[in-house]
Amino acid sequence: MTLNAQEAETEVKDSIVVQEKYGMRLGADLSKITRSFIGKDYMGFEINGDYRLSKRLYIAGEIGSEKKTSTNNYLSSTAKGTYLKAGVDYNMYENWAGMENLIYSGLRFGLANFNQNLNSYTIYDTNSVTWGQNEVIDNEKFSGLTSGWIELLLGLKTEVLKNLFLGLNLQIKARLFESQPDNFENIYIPGFGRTYDSGKFSVGFGYNISYLIPLYRKDR
Amino acid sequence: MKKYYLFLSLVALLSFSCEKDDVCPATTQTTPRMVIEFYDIAAPEEIKLVPGLFAIGVDSNGNEVPIHNELVSTRSFIALPLQNNSNQTQFKLYESYDLIDSIVNGNPDTISITYEIETVYLSRACGYINNYSIQTFSIASESERWMNNSEVLITQVTNENEIHVKVLH
Repeated sequence: MTLNAQEAETEVKDSIVVQEKYGMRLGADLSKITRSFIGKDYMGFEINGDYRLSKRLYIAGEIGSEKKTSTNNYLSSTAKGTYLKAGVDYNMYENWAGMENLIYSGLRFGLANFNQNLNSYTIYDTNSVTWGQNEVIDNEKFSGLTSGWIELLLGLKTEVLKNLFLGLNLQIKARLFESQPDNFENIYIPGFGRTYDSGKFSVGFGYNISYLIPLYRKDR
Repeated sequence: MKKYYLFLSLVALLSFSCEKDDVCPATTQTTPRMVIEFYDIAAPEEIKLVPGLFAIGVDSNGNEVPIHNELVSTRSFIALPLQNNSNQTQFKLYESYDLIDSIVNGNPDTISITYEIETVYLSRACGYINNYSIQTFSIASESERWMNNSEVLITQVTNENEIHVKVLH
């Protein structure tokens, strides 16, 4: 009698089979599109995608293009190019049955191919009061520049409608290599963001919309 | 643990955005001026003061251009700003300069420097500075010259800590 009851209980437990969707998610970065419309000094877009490998692991990547003009008192330059980022996302979030949201950390290797145009400059001269100062319109183009970096991500993706996800992420990047233009430097690297005098780090963020194409279902 | 991670990320983001990379620090080495030191014509190895030394710029049309922060004083060296957008600059150097009732007293000699400009990248905040390569340094000939002779010691003007031209008087 006791034995039978136990067996029955086990059977009940087994019958609640939760399945999760596996497939390919494709999307775009909304923040880059928005920035392109707001400001004159930025144009960019990014397509992102991921493919689910296991319960927690996804292969993920982004491909994009950016054009950014940076201007200060002495210097104006425009960086333009494309980039590719590839890596993995790891879902740290334990979903309730039937929900498939993500709070994830990710790792990427990024690679950019770009050029940089030195638009204009004003010679830095604290004694220029005497003879006056003039802006030099240079328009010198430095082509064929490359840079690679490693990136850590922290983000979330929420299913807002069936198979439609909205996501936010924060990126911390460390530059591994870059080709420097002669008698100039890389002010902005597409995909990596602006560079800093103090080191090889940069930060970024993404605000994504994506659609999941379910390919198959698998038990949780 | 997750909260700690997020907090760290936020701190990193804030510290990056506050960086003053776009402001050129006042301590930065600027475009250098050309430095002249004055020596004794009777003893060419000995520095000799010029009484009431005063410099004034002369533009390509022959008009006088006051030099910023230039004051009359007795000294043995002077730093002069070269024009950034020309390959030649002229100055009038006065000995015993004096201004009494708007009348200039003293002995002016005209010097003329020709040079090549090299533009050197410094940083994103300061952009470029000029370095100069002195081609010629000449003192205009006239009857009452107080500067007798000159010698270019260092042709590359990259900083103001060295003497570029030696003048004997």
